[in-house]
Amino acid sequence: MNVRRHASIGFAVIAGAVLVSACGSTSTVAPATSAPSSSSASASSSPTAMAVQTGNPAGPQTLSEAGSSLLYPYLQKLAPGINSAFANITLTPAAGGSGTGQSEALSGTIDMGGSDAYLSAAQVSANPGALNIPIAVSAQAVNYNLAGFPNLKLSGTVLAQIYQGTIKVWNDPAIAALNTGATLPATPIIPIRRSDSSGDTFIFTSFLSATNPTWSSGPSFGTTVSWPTVASELTAAGNPAMVDTLHSTPGGIAYVGISVEGAALVDGLGEAELENASGSYVQPDSTTITAAVTAGATNVPASLAASLIYETGAQAYPIVNFEYLIINPSKITSSDTALAIRTFIEWAISPTGGATADNLSAVQFVPLPSNVIPLVNTAVAQITG
Amino acid sequence: MILVRRRAGGVPTGPARVARTRTHELTPGDRVLQWVSGIAATIPLAGILFITTILVVWAIPAIIYSGFTVFTSDKFFIGNFYNPNFSSVNGVVAPYGANYGALTFIIGTLSSSLIALVLAVPISVGGVLMLSEWIPRQLEGPLSTFLELLAGIPSVVFGFWGLTVFGPFLGAHVFPALSHLGVVLPFFKGSWAYNGQGLLTASLVLTLMIIPIIASTTRQLVKRVPVLASEGALALGMTKYEMVRVVTIPYVRTGIIASALLGWGRALGETIAVLLIIGMANNPPVNIYGTTSTLASTIADELDSALSDGTGMAVRAMAMLGLLLLTMSLITNLTGRLIVRRISSDALPVGRGV
Repeated sequence: MNVRRHASIGFAVIAGAVLVSACGSTSTVAPATSAPSSSSASASSSPTAMAVQTGNPAGPQTLSEAGSSLLYPYLQKLAPGINSAFANITLTPAAGGSGTGQSEALSGTIDMGGSDAYLSAAQVSANPGALNIPIAVSAQAVNYNLAGFPNLKLSGTVLAQIYQGTIKVWNDPAIAALNTGATLPATPIIPIRRSDSSGDTFIFTSFLSATNPTWSSGPSFGTTVSWPTVASELTAAGNPAMVDTLHSTPGGIAYVGISVEGAALVDGLGEAELENASGSYVQPDSTTITAAVTAGATNVPASLAASLIYETGAQAYPIVNFEYLIINPSKITSSDTALAIRTFIEWAISPTGGATADNLSAVQFVPLPSNVIPLVNTAVAQITG
Repeated sequence: MILVRRRAGGVPTGPARVARTRTHELTPGDRVLQWVSGIAATIPLAGILFITTILVVWAIPAIIYSGFTVFTSDKFFIGNFYNPNFSSVNGVVAPYGANYGALTFIIGTLSSSLIALVLAVPISVGGVLMLSEWIPRQLEGPLSTFLELLAGIPSVVFGFWGLTVFGPFLGAHVFPALSHLGVVLPFFKGSWAYNGQGLLTASLVLTLMIIPIIASTTRQLVKRVPVLASEGALALGMTKYEMVRVVTIPYVRTGIIASALLGWGRALGETIAVLLIIGMANNPPVNIYGTTSTLASTIADELDSALSDGTGMAVRAMAMLGLLLLTMSLITNLTGRLIVRRISSDALPVGRGV
């Protein structure tokens, strides 16, 4: 970590030197004042957006990112794009987990931390001014291994009871009541959960908390929770291991990030239709995820720490979340780095920049809703270095 | 290894000590060597002191928060970071509901490593004796190469194999048979996870991982048994079995204990393989097949969550688990050295029997 910090400091020094020499040799580049004012506003995608100063930094800037393994493939797709749109910006994404992303971004080890979860109140009060900036929307599927039942209907409260061990078999009356007409087998249910710290656990337990009061007052939600002891329960580290374990476990049920959903379905596993707040049953796809985001976007606070779980609307899928970049502006000392970060985020959320249908559909993400963009712009404008 | 060499033969193996040279006679080369080796000798000691100090300093708030519940509570929980309330014990503030009881992990670590040790020692020693005494010389080379190759397999490969192949195989075919033994041996009773995740599977994989450590050391020792003693035994009319029992095993016994301790240390600290196989349940195993977690695997599993704790206490709890693991390794290591010292003497240990 220290090595990386020193490396980035070293790089900033080099970049600074390049900047100075660039200013010395040519006069066409923006002056190296504390607030670089490049005129390019190519990335402002909404007419109501607050003007965010963006543009190609005067010298090369490498933006270091680490964190969420769910966000990582998406940022890898964006890395070549930002470099060809703004030649002086290089993005170096890395995985490592949402917690790593949060703590390294807050401490200033990296420029941006990827996270599936927003910062907790304790983290914000320990790091005043730290920002959660959503750049895309992700979702989570609930899969199970029960041959002959590809699309069972399930609800959050039933899932909570499964993970509490009070619903033990697939033909439990609570499940049968949701699936009238299906003759379910008496196969024991084997709940599979993430053993490692996980943004997927965060959104899944958020859903259980939103729908089941016992869960809400008990394990509640977080990247690691105090799971109730269930004798038959299995654990897996990482999304691919969740799919593997589910595949080898008849009667198993698991929550899987949308980006590995394809693998789960190829394996012939079932995908649950989940009951949403309006009482209808939906599976995750771009229509239902977008419906949830549109409903949830109406009450996003200025801090952008918003849950998109269990939104109302006939089409709204209930387990949806923002993918965040965590940024601590007080640790960003170079105005050129700040310019590069602002430019990258504005480009990343623009439909003509990084948020193209191709990039998003590759990881099954959906774009930010238009009414969140102004809030993002306001947050991005606070990164001044 | 130093330990083994010094104790096993009782004969110094290095060259005779050179008389100390006077300082003014040192050439520049001597001085360079003196400095380089001095620094090299300091690094391991400084490393251990540094790590221990850092762990202790980091763990102190978590120790104050937990007190003796570290050893009495089996419900470890890093706390609910998103709850507006906090838990405060002895003036230390942690996320709501945080409880750093480590009993589950202590039980998991000790039980998995001890089962592995109990299985690995006889297998290693028996295998080596077979190799050195009964197997034809032409086969000994290739077979012992295999043994050393086993040591070279990365632990994540062991973990992956245990998760995808070995565990499901045990769960489907071996554990059902074992549980029938429960009639005679009660500790084999009980139910198991369908894919074999749990204590016994983890212990069996750990056994495979520490066999090469114990076996390769034992093999070196067996090779050093004086030919005179073993051939003398045969000449006296002993059978090969008697020769092994009376000459070979007493000669290598202390070395075996030392290598078993090395293997135990490996099993105590093994992280990724155990993480993938043991099930990572937050409770002590309910039976020999039951899922549980160990100190090392929990640190690896929960550190990322701990890093996002705004109060910073969860990372200190991880340091406390690390300190527990370090203490456990030190205790086993020191106890082992004590045992070795007690039962070894400088006399050739031949003839005392097993």
